[in-house]
Amino acid sequence: MSDWITITIDGKEIQAKPGELLVDAAARAGIHIPVFCYHPKLDPLGACRMCLVEAEGRRGKMLITACTTPVADGGVYYYESERAVDARQGTLELILINHPLDCPICDKGGECPLQDQTLEHGPGKSHFWEEKNHKAKHYPLSDLIMLDQERCIVCWRCIRYLEEWEDKPQLGLFHRGGETVIDKFPDGKLDAYTSGSIIDICPVGALTNRLARFSYRPWELEKTPSICTHCGMGCNLRIDSRTHRIRRNVARENAAVNDEWICDKGRFAMGFASHPERLQEPLARINGELRPVSWPEALDRVVRGLKRVVETHGPAAVAAIGSAKLSNEANYLLAKFMRGVVGSNNLDFREGSAVVADPRGIPSLADARDADVIVLMGCDPGEEMPVLANFLKRAVLRGGAKMIIVHPRAIELTQYAAAFINPTIGAESAAFDALTRATLDASDAIIPDWLPEVEEAAQVAGISVEDVREAARLLSQAKRPFIVYGVDYAWGYGARNLVTALTNWVVAAGHGERLGFLHSQANALGAADMGMAPDRLPGHRPLSDARARRELEARWQTEIPTQPGLSYGAMMASTPDRIRALYLMGADPVGEKPADAKALAELDFLVVQDMFLTESAKLADVVLPAASYAESRGTFTNTERRVQRAPQAVRTVGKSVADWAILMHLARRYAPDKKDAWDTPSVDAIFAEIAEVVPAYRGMSWENLGESGQQWPRDAVSLSRELRPHSGAAIPPSPDYPFRLVVGSLLWDGGTVFAATPQMAGLARQAAWLHPDDAARLGVQEGDAIEIRSRGGSIRTFAHLDPSIKPGSVFAPYSFPAAPVGNLFDDYVPRTSVAIEKVT
Amino acid sequence: MLSDTARSEIQALMGRYPQPRSAILPALYVAQREIGWLPTEAMDEIATLFGMEPMEVYAIAGFYNMLYKEPKGRYHIEICTNVPCKLRGADKMAEHLQKRLGVGFGETTEDGQFTLDHMECLGSCATGPMFFVRRSGSDWGRYYEDLTPERIDAILEDLLSGEDWPMERSPAGPYHHDHHPETNFLLARIDKPDSHTIESYLADGGYQTAPKVLAMSPQEVIDEVKKAGVRGRGGAGFPAGVKWGFIPKDLYPRYLVVNADESEPGTFKDRLIIEYDPHELLEGIICTAWAIQAHYAFIYIRGEYMFGAQRLNQAIAEAKARGFLGKHIFGTDFDLEVIVHRGAGAYICGEETALLSSLEGYRGHPRLKPPFPAVAGLYAKPTIVNNVETISHVRHVLEHGADWYRQWGTERSPGFQLICLSGQVKKPGVYEIPYGTTFRELIYDMAGGTVDDRPIKSIIPGGLSMPHILPDKLDIGIDFESLQQAGSLLGSGGVIVICEGENIVPITRRTLGFYREESCGKCSPCREGVGWMEKILKRVEAGQGTLSDLDTMERVTKYIEQQSFCPFGPAAVWGLQSTLRHFRSEFEAYILETNPDQEKPSLPARPIYRPYVGEPLENMLDD
Ligand SMILES: Cc1cc2nc3c(=O)[nH]c(=O)nc-3n(C[C@H](O)[C@H](O)[C@H](O)COP(=O)(O)O)c2cc1C
Ligand code: SF4
Ligand code: SF4
Ligand code: FES
Repeated sequence: MSDWITITIDGKEIQAKPGELLVDAAARAGIHIPVFCYHPKLDPLGACRMCLVEAEGRRGKMLITACTTPVADGGVYYYESERAVDARQGTLELILINHPLDCPICDKGGECPLQDQTLEHGPGKSHFWEEKNHKAKHYPLSDLIMLDQERCIVCWRCIRYLEEWEDKPQLGLFHRGGETVIDKFPDGKLDAYTSGSIIDICPVGALTNRLARFSYRPWELEKTPSICTHCGMGCNLRIDSRTHRIRRNVARENAAVNDEWICDKGRFAMGFASHPERLQEPLARINGELRPVSWPEALDRVVRGLKRVVETHGPAAVAAIGSAKLSNEANYLLAKFMRGVVGSNNLDFREGSAVVADPRGIPSLADARDADVIVLMGCDPGEEMPVLANFLKRAVLRGGAKMIIVHPRAIELTQYAAAFINPTIGAESAAFDALTRATLDASDAIIPDWLPEVEEAAQVAGISVEDVREAARLLSQAKRPFIVYGVDYAWGYGARNLVTALTNWVVAAGHGERLGFLHSQANALGAADMGMAPDRLPGHRPLSDARARRELEARWQTEIPTQPGLSYGAMMASTPDRIRALYLMGADPVGEKPADAKALAELDFLVVQDMFLTESAKLADVVLPAASYAESRGTFTNTERRVQRAPQAVRTVGKSVADWAILMHLARRYAPDKKDAWDTPSVDAIFAEIAEVVPAYRGMSWENLGESGQQWPRDAVSLSRELRPHSGAAIPPSPDYPFRLVVGSLLWDGGTVFAATPQMAGLARQAAWLHPDDAARLGVQEGDAIEIRSRGGSIRTFAHLDPSIKPGSVFAPYSFPAAPVGNLFDDYVPRTSVAIEKVT
Repeated sequence: MLSDTARSEIQALMGRYPQPRSAILPALYVAQREIGWLPTEAMDEIATLFGMEPMEVYAIAGFYNMLYKEPKGRYHIEICTNVPCKLRGADKMAEHLQKRLGVGFGETTEDGQFTLDHMECLGSCATGPMFFVRRSGSDWGRYYEDLTPERIDAILEDLLSGEDWPMERSPAGPYHHDHHPETNFLLARIDKPDSHTIESYLADGGYQTAPKVLAMSPQEVIDEVKKAGVRGRGGAGFPAGVKWGFIPKDLYPRYLVVNADESEPGTFKDRLIIEYDPHELLEGIICTAWAIQAHYAFIYIRGEYMFGAQRLNQAIAEAKARGFLGKHIFGTDFDLEVIVHRGAGAYICGEETALLSSLEGYRGHPRLKPPFPAVAGLYAKPTIVNNVETISHVRHVLEHGADWYRQWGTERSPGFQLICLSGQVKKPGVYEIPYGTTFRELIYDMAGGTVDDRPIKSIIPGGLSMPHILPDKLDIGIDFESLQQAGSLLGSGGVIVICEGENIVPITRRTLGFYREESCGKCSPCREGVGWMEKILKRVEAGQGTLSDLDTMERVTKYIEQQSFCPFGPAAVWGLQSTLRHFRSEFEAYILETNPDQEKPSLPARPIYRPYVGEPLENMLDD
């Protein structure tokens, strides 16, 4: 403790860190000085005057605010002195005079810092006889958040959060003096993607969750520490339920993952759990119609249906699609069922094996926060991972990090970028060649002869040589870079070459080990870890690895077929020719690509295991109602390889059952002889098995994952990174399809998650985004109906004109059921060309 | 919605400042001039021009009184009802205006010609009652002073006739400043015709000190000012030279900010210098900027001083034309830009850190100290903030030397000062007198005694913020130390005289009304407490007070005084605390007379409201 200093509070000596705030030093020593405006994650303000203590100064004792005073070596402070106690009582008296004291009907009552501190430090009696100031009582700031200006104690936490973490000062003060209120711009809205964080940090009931208010009293809540499963970040949250219904989600601190923030999707999109359209019981097609059946009957029908296909067409005619949104246990058991029971390697999930991902994800999320250089290639954290996006903005604004963005459109983070490279779509590999070459040119490394000159490659990519040199210089000089690429560059035509090319740049800059793939889905990395792939066993071991196979065979009491299975795209393309039976778990290929309905309808046997009657389920022979993640127990592995727990928070809906349990019972019925291999009566037991068969998970157990999860070691999967030539010639434009299709995620989409939360319905806006110049050429105006056509199919949607779009391209977001971009894909992968027409 | 001219004017304004955001108030003025007020569309457009969130612009507009959030009449009349004007009959004039126009405060006449408001002190305390008129959609605004009912009628006629009155004060009001010719330096020139022009200033030997100072080393300049002991005239009395010495070595750029916000009720001295001898101030600025090595000087002038801002801009243009400002001033290598920045009606922006927030383009909230502005001020760079008068003294000190300056005043308050005398005296005005001159000399010998020769009841010695002193202190010297010993402070040198016959209850109530209006709202004690005190005083005045109210005020003002974020808090309640101390028996008598049975006020009922109005029903229902 050599670099600690000593201070004295109320005569007690305390060790403190030099420069830390008195309020923090005191808290460590167990003295909890009351605060309102102070928040450890926000800049000190000193406005509420709640944290007053006495300090010994040159001119005697004086009152100071503990939240703004850095400790001084040898400093002497009094927290319990008569004057300090009286001062805090005085502040509280003043804060309370105009406070409406509507605790009995206030959502915060029972967990309200103002209430608690009034009890502990307050005067106990009011001397205020005057009329209170009246302000707006229930003032919607957005569809999600309600403000009560009377309850507000003007602590500025909400304002500072939006400024300091979102860099979106959408809330501010209006008027001054006693009339001061928190307000938004009259014509504006509060639409920052993590806006709900301000509800968590408001020290009174001024900001309330519009989806949750008046539906509980805090002491009635059942609180389950869990995680969010909307994206690959895996933010920690707490599910609060009452009468077995989710009432709200609040952020839960995990310093390594989400600090203490979650985004609005994670917080508010929870309607799926208690949605009236949730499947309540198993369904089976009887006389051409889906009818409720009992579980035993449903499972027997699945066993019979699958067996019939296996007998007539062989096990390779059966395929299964898992889900990157479902738990490790669900995906593991589905893979185990297919390989070990049915005998087929036809296993995949959408954005699974076709994505050229780094199986190890990214080195660490924490790197983002103290990076000196940030490189984003083909990913858009602003829409995909808002909490990460805030970390990145902060690294730039506060840490002085330099951000380099290579992307097909000007994403929101572009405004923070030191270099934005926007290569011609289809010629991105050339852009990375230019970057690689510029990096090597500036070093004394040997330049491989297959690498083109900077100027030449830059010209092919349609980018400026200066930008290339600047970006190359920044990355080469980086000390702690955070370098990620995403699905936009790792999926579709030419993706393999593209990833080779971008890897070359990072390797040339000397940071190969720092490159990572940002998984945008909650358990995409976990699903791959579980072997949800046609040619990979659990733990990323190749199917051809005989030893790995033998180990599993012993454990699974089976023989694993050696012939690799079909990938998602290949499965769909060979339905119903080679594939005659399909098992869908949380997957909805028809929803993705309605044109496939015909093929699926021709299957001999289709099983859908889902929460809702999806478009695919409507065609199924048997529909198995699955519990949501909040209703079952499971682990999820985020993009930094952190395995985290999601315990059961509420009871299941109707007769729905957890995915793992469905699969366990199915396997036991299908293969009674493999009873021992399927003796997995709990998630804990399944996870224990996973920890044995997936080398990277060795040593983990449900128990020891704890509340903040465990990362599997990055070196558990090895990957060599070296300069490699690629054959990534630019994809030429086609005269019939003059626009490049850019797809991507928007946080507010039209997917089930949102559709199930009606209060959020107004947030998503279905549209395809066009550059205004292109739109003018097409005679298209904002909001016009347009048709987008590709070789594969077409969709209809509305035009949104946006200068962030690269001319000659069109941006079509995923997950709008009325405009399923999957229809446009060739071979089930994006990166294609389209034609656009105005619909008249 | 903004015209192209307005947009390009705004863009040009953005280019004037080291950081464009500083141009937000000027930009809002441009929009208001064009549209007459600030509709949200205009704020939205300005936000786009500045690359800001619209909310930020809205929050700024919401802070400043002079920025209109709703349309006003063609003429906006704001009559000062603050204590100094009140003591000179402002309430009667306000009544007359209301009757004449047929509207109450905050209302607009039916024909849309006039909007009437009551206002806080506008720096005309010796020429009150007064009002300030602005014409909608223009840059035109001016003061009308020494009001009488007849004058008010004539002014209204004139305004309706559409004739353009000059913005200049006419005639130069009763500013008495010649009673101590021995120290007639700062105000020596202001009665001359055209005293504000550079020709007149040069003819009187102006701009001869600056080149001399530019030949000295900056440290020599600082040392000389330190030696003279020039104390800050903005309120705190901090020695200027010592403050300059706090600037960290090797940290650049540095900025000079001249505090011309002059909003402390009872203070109107800076206005005189600005309007009638602006070059005196500019020469002081050149000397100070050289001493601290600043290439930018900002004059933050209160928004209502429209005429003053015009005068300063003229003077700057004249000085620039002669090479005294701009690049290579006086043929040296030294560059100096002076920028006049208008506030927009917020007293707190006189407090130096709030001023810096405002100048940077934010709401004018005070900031944490430390860091002090000398270390991290404007744009987080070393910044010296000095009052207009302080800087003007600097110019004379450097002309004549520290020893010359020290021949007047006391050891710790050396030199002479401008005292603003207002209230119930025969000759109110600005008096340039040595420190240590007694109140008796000032009030009786120079100002001719009190109105109707009434006995003095109380004196507020340093602007409305300072504690009252009783007439038994008439013989103490007017200097920092003597006033401190007498339980008050010299503050900004605004001496307000209150005579017997005045009721202390409404005077105290009006005092608190000012601070309630001007509290920035940042910290709880001031935001909540000051309004509470005013509510109690209003109730007492209305005859519903109880004796326990006095104890409550005594107790609660202690919290406001000692626990507020910035010095505004104590300033807001010192007046009340001192009148409670000095005139408690008068308060008690008033309360017992007006509420003999000591009836307690009835607690106001809460308005009825349904918390869930407008909420979808399903949120309310349980499953
Ligand atoms: C509430 C408040 C209002 C103030 N108003 C003014 C003002 O109008 N003009 C001024 O020069 N100083 C004002 N001051 C003092 C300034 O904060 C600052 O001390 C002064 O400008 C420094 O200049 P000086 O050292 O030359 O006096 C005010 C201070 C406070 C706390
Ligand atoms: S709404 Fe809540 S967080 Fe925001 S200022 Fe008011 S009390 Fe603080
Ligand atoms: S005391 Fe507080 S509320 Fe009052 S002006 Fe200062 S900071 Fe603002
Ligand atoms: S917590 Fe310290 S002033 Fe608010």
